[in-house]
Amino acid sequence: MTETGPGRSIALWGTLTAVLSTAAIVGAFLVAPEDADQGIIQRIFYFHVAIAITSMVAFAVAFVAGVLYLRKRERRFDEIGVVSIGLGVLFSALTVLTGSIWAKASWGIWWQWSDPRLVTYAIVVLLYVSYFMLRSSVDGERQARYSAIFSVVAFASVPLSFYAVRVAQSFIHPVVFTQSGANMPNTMLVWFVVSQVAMLCLFITLLKLELLQRRVDQALGELKLRLEASRPV
Amino acid sequence: MSSGADFVIAVYAVIWFVLLMYVVLLASRTARLSRQVELLSRLTGLHDEDDEDAGAP
Repeated sequence: MTETGPGRSIALWGTLTAVLSTAAIVGAFLVAPEDADQGIIQRIFYFHVAIAITSMVAFAVAFVAGVLYLRKRERRFDEIGVVSIGLGVLFSALTVLTGSIWAKASWGIWWQWSDPRLVTYAIVVLLYVSYFMLRSSVDGERQARYSAIFSVVAFASVPLSFYAVRVAQSFIHPVVFTQSGANMPNTMLVWFVVSQVAMLCLFITLLKLELLQRRVDQALGELKLRLEASRPV
Repeated sequence: MSSGADFVIAVYAVIWFVLLMYVVLLASRTARLSRQVELLSRLTGLHDEDDEDAGAP
């Protein structure tokens, strides 16, 4: 039953994602209390921050896959790296889009160039977008090796973005999670955690699905070549 | 409806739309793979018939 294994695993993760996402939406809108300061706009927080953290997790997965590829030279780590970065860019784009709408609602502007959190995050996104340009410019083993090196080096920008806002003196982007804990009541925090787990499950589901598609694509390509070779001329 | 609610709806609509587009992309790729599998199984069927005609064991 090895053929049904990956499909069943993806179905399980997908179901878990659907259940948790539904619970997070219901919790964020119907159960969590309304923020006294921002009102209904604060409800953007539950998914905006969860998506942003998931994008960082995706880049961290690519970093680990890059290190493992450089050590073991196994193709599967290269595949995990490229799919993770693709998903990381997708989640980053969502973070920027949702963040801009929240900024317009809260601050009256779509973007603030003087804010270190926004600018460093934009740098991280652009850096990871350039990964695909690098990848398409080389072939074969060099492609995998250069991509792994890039994913390891580029990951340095992720903690830089995370700490920039804490080190900087002036900013408008709020810091919710500090060393003393989360600056929100537990009735809000619990729904944020549900939403965060849902987004991580979504990431795992999409990662598994993309990896499966890549492997099937590759196996089909090899099968086609073997068939062509075995055909009588 | 207040303008605050409009922004919240916009945010959740953007998330839903982007993820939907991604799923559509994955589905189109799956459909392509499915077509390739079908073509290959048809080709292997023809291949087996050729072998049988040639008296291959």
